[in-house]
Amino acid sequence: MECINFAKPGMSPQEIVSRVRSLPGVALTSTGMRDAGQSDYKNRHRIIDLATLAPYYDRMGLFSVECHGGARWHVGIMNRQESPFEEIAILREQMPNILLQTLIRETNLWGYRPYPKNVIEQAVAAVDIDVWRCFSFLNDVRNMRTVAEAVMKRGRLFQPAISYTQADWTTNEYYIGVVRDMVDLCGGTDEIILCIKDMAGVGSPKRIGELIDAIKQAYPDLVIQFHRHTTDGLAIPSLLAAAHAGAKLLDVEEDSLTRFYGQPPILGVDAYLTESGIPVHLNREQAELAVQKAREWNGHYVWAESPFKGFDHSVIEHRMPGGAFPSSFEQAEKGGFLSSMPAILKVMSLYNRIVKYFDVTPGSQITWVTCSGIVNRYFKEKGQAGVDEVIALLTKFVAEKGQNFGTMTEGEQQELLGLFSTAPGDFKNLLLGNYGRLPMGWPADWVYQSAFGSEWTKAIRDRKDLSPLDVLTDDDLPKLRSELAAHLGRSPSDEEFILYLMHPKDALTMIAFRDEYGEAPLVLPSDVWRAGLRRPGDSVEFELGGRPHRIELVSIGAEHDGTFPVVLRVDNKMRVYTVDAPQTEGKSGGAKNKTRMATGASQIGTPINGIVWRLGGPGQNGLAVGDTVSKGTELANIEAMKMENAIIAPFSARIEEVCISLNETVKEGQLLFVLSEA
Amino acid sequence: MHKEIKKVLIANRSVPATRIMHTCRDREIATVAVYSSPDRLASHVAMADASVHIGGASASESYLNKERLIAAALANGADAIHPGWGFLAENSDFARMVIAAGLVWIGPPPQAIEAMGDKIAAKDIAATADVPMIPGITNVTRVEQIEQWVAEEGIAYPLMIKAAAGGGGKGMVKVSNGENLELALAQAASEAMKAFGDDKMLVEKCIDPAKHIEVQIVADEHGNVLHLFERECTLQRRNQKVIEEAPSPSLSEETRQQICATAVRLMRKIGYVSAGTVEFIYDPVVEKFYFLEVNTRLQVEHGVTELITGLDIVSLMLDIAEGKEIPFRQEGVHRSGWALEARINAEDPLTFNPSFGTISRLEVPHGPGVRIYQGAYEGADIPPYYDSLFMLLMTYGQRREDAIRIMDRALRRNLRIEGVKTLAPLLLSLIGHDTFKQGDFSTRFIERFIEQSVEQPVEMEEPWGEETPRHMDELTATFTETDGEDKLQQIAKYVAKISALGPQDWM
Repeated sequence: MECINFAKPGMSPQEIVSRVRSLPGVALTSTGMRDAGQSDYKNRHRIIDLATLAPYYDRMGLFSVECHGGARWHVGIMNRQESPFEEIAILREQMPNILLQTLIRETNLWGYRPYPKNVIEQAVAAVDIDVWRCFSFLNDVRNMRTVAEAVMKRGRLFQPAISYTQADWTTNEYYIGVVRDMVDLCGGTDEIILCIKDMAGVGSPKRIGELIDAIKQAYPDLVIQFHRHTTDGLAIPSLLAAAHAGAKLLDVEEDSLTRFYGQPPILGVDAYLTESGIPVHLNREQAELAVQKAREWNGHYVWAESPFKGFDHSVIEHRMPGGAFPSSFEQAEKGGFLSSMPAILKVMSLYNRIVKYFDVTPGSQITWVTCSGIVNRYFKEKGQAGVDEVIALLTKFVAEKGQNFGTMTEGEQQELLGLFSTAPGDFKNLLLGNYGRLPMGWPADWVYQSAFGSEWTKAIRDRKDLSPLDVLTDDDLPKLRSELAAHLGRSPSDEEFILYLMHPKDALTMIAFRDEYGEAPLVLPSDVWRAGLRRPGDSVEFELGGRPHRIELVSIGAEHDGTFPVVLRVDNKMRVYTVDAPQTEGKSGGAKNKTRMATGASQIGTPINGIVWRLGGPGQNGLAVGDTVSKGTELANIEAMKMENAIIAPFSARIEEVCISLNETVKEGQLLFVLSEA
Repeated sequence: MHKEIKKVLIANRSVPATRIMHTCRDREIATVAVYSSPDRLASHVAMADASVHIGGASASESYLNKERLIAAALANGADAIHPGWGFLAENSDFARMVIAAGLVWIGPPPQAIEAMGDKIAAKDIAATADVPMIPGITNVTRVEQIEQWVAEEGIAYPLMIKAAAGGGGKGMVKVSNGENLELALAQAASEAMKAFGDDKMLVEKCIDPAKHIEVQIVADEHGNVLHLFERECTLQRRNQKVIEEAPSPSLSEETRQQICATAVRLMRKIGYVSAGTVEFIYDPVVEKFYFLEVNTRLQVEHGVTELITGLDIVSLMLDIAEGKEIPFRQEGVHRSGWALEARINAEDPLTFNPSFGTISRLEVPHGPGVRIYQGAYEGADIPPYYDSLFMLLMTYGQRREDAIRIMDRALRRNLRIEGVKTLAPLLLSLIGHDTFKQGDFSTRFIERFIEQSVEQPVEMEEPWGEETPRHMDELTATFTETDGEDKLQQIAKYVAKISALGPQDWM
């Protein structure tokens, strides 16, 4: 199909919506730059590789490219050392004709806590994105208000997303209620696109078809985009059902990136829909080239793939979202409880019928920590038998007794009341209404008893039915900004400030990393980025600021004094780099060699590097433990480059410890004396 | 008497040693370097035709060890010794020993060094030559002497305590009120003892605001005493010069003539021979200059005079030491253009604490209008035992603003030093300061400038609006503005790290 981009950056939301409406069939959003990587590669896909897809995306006839948001933001800062702002700038330059799309967690934005209005407004204004897909793990549309207003005020397209799952309570009526709230919030259907977000990949073709049909009957003009993960193995037929029912936009990813928990493959979806008589707005040739291009670099990320492989139809029970699959299994592997994963998934499938919300950030983290916590606790106390016991208990309670607490035995009741005793703080926040209103109302009282113990009646009294937006007071932005400036020792850029607002600790680490290693994350090819140059003679070529460069490894010396001498030929110039060996704890001699630094008022340090040429004042012969000195007395004199620097007693004191000897070379801040008040 | 110099031992290290060797090479005179143990791989050792180890790390064992220096000269067939600056340059005993050993002393006669080395005697001589004097007292050993003088003459603080034998800021302490007089005198005396082996002190009224202006003199054995115009060395920290320039932007042509003539008159009176400098304190408010001291040696900042006169002062010193007549007269000395010098010291630019270690990266400025005197190379160590100066960066242009612009380019765009901290960020912010550009600054400028830079809190009133960053902050930031090479080094550092350590946990 001959295709041009029908929607472009700079168009008004209204124009974009009307162009989608007039499409003969469907158009696609590629998630190759965001959700594909999040679902199967822990968000480790680097911008240098992703950007190679940009020229194809720019000419492919896609509706948009999801390239931003979700956990990609945080992982970028924490693991890839890339700023999401840099990524947008690079992609904008290389694909100027395509809509860039983000995924945003209503009041949580790209962070993990609810932000007040002024932070949300600040962040939305600073991020150059065309399509803002916004979801709530509670489907609490009230929480979307500030984002919606900020995005629409900027003239960008707001895309409210329904968090979708398949359960007895997620009826058409329920969802149409959520859609009604969204349409009301956004003042009609002409400036928004509705997304149905099946983040776990559980929507059966029949169910999806029915739901979209029901929504289209209620809101015939509403443009619907369907986003679905492939976890259950039924994604492609489900997409066809959605298209038949009237969805105009579908999310896909490059075939070569497809594994098990992301979106379905673009070429397969195109072929299947076309054969079924639904025109797909896609330049097939460019799409094939993009698929091929991704294959060239995707091999660098094998290490980041989930240790748990293959489709998993039981996802319809446990509902772990695709985006959480690799990271959850990785945590289980690192924590040494990978073998408990089937039990954890089973507990999740029962838990989600007791406390009802949608398993997507931050809900999925609450579910994961709570359920893995329960299983690990039982395993620790009673081994596998304990795990079997808690699953049997929950199965009986949920599946057989219809969650009728009174019908359980005394002992079983006691066990249930202990279930959430060690649940994380965020689980308690959820029960208190700090995230907003739960979709099916509050859980049963015993859940509160279990989580809050004797405080449970107070918890119920205190729980709120308000949106966090109505509760949170604005952050003191100038104060936070000076806090950041103090950390950095310089004025932060606006972008650094936004990073800091989302993830304070990790942003600081990343900024420090970038101050030290500059553009290394942006220019080095992925094999060298991850493992460096392996053998002498290995080299890497790259461009920096439009100029070609070459670095060749000459040698790596043996560890000496805690450092490795590394010799590189950098643009043909040989240079030695001293690399600090990693600190191994308990290594002999490590503590002994460490210079003691002065801390606190009673420890006197040297203000400069130098040589202790005199202990005690002029004419005095040394200084010893037990000597008393009056305030202002000279304790020692440090000479550096022929300048003398007297070390003066700050108060009248007794010498408790003399930490240096005459003619010793001392480093700035090194401990000289320990004093006590005389 | 004509004595041809064929081989010179340079009793110095780093910048002065290499500077002198350049001229010797020019004139095909062989050179002998001396070195202490930690300096065995230093650049002056590599540059000389022969090198002699003269002792351990401490200067008293090595560069101040007169006997060994003379023995080294004799053993290596040197026929002359150039002392450079610092160390033994103004030690008349050493000069006498050199001459007694049958060697040529490339410097002034020992009597001149001795006369001017004693600051008290120097003042007496200067007074007889009608050189204006700052009020002061000499031969100070006790606090009471100072207190009595202050009371009797109605002198207002601040005062300056100085080593009678001193120079270069060592053994020099400023006292802003009577309270800390005792400690200040003790410290100055102790430093003086250590630096010059003499704790005789003098005390003077401190002129504030003051400018520091000095006149370069060359004189030969044949009675020719010429000036090579003045230099301004007002920008100092802890009484050590940081930026020097020639000519002075502060003098009227009339005052320039007067100050130069005064310097010539004094040096003629002394019977000075070789290169030397008469230093003055200049009070810009009343446009008066006062005698400060005579430096009986080649000075660090001689290069700016060379740039505006086209002369080689070290070469003139060699000619004069050989007994030749200076080959031109006063009318033959012309000045043209403007020269600046910035001292690249291994020091923290804010605290001035010394920063010794290995220079891991050194990119040296080049191009039109730039002259470098370099005393250390990339990979060299800056040892903690000696002066922190390791490079002089000079720029030259038709007008003062040209020299400043070229200095800005050299510091900001060319010079790159890693491994040790240097004064470079401070130098860059100083030359970018309006006060400096206008030439309207005093000897206390750096002190005040640093106070402003450090104490002013980070202003955060309009977090999203235009900020007015602190001057120093801003300029230091532009200084660290990375060029292509810096950015490449950051990447190389990363490649080195990961190549050595493999994939990291944080990935």
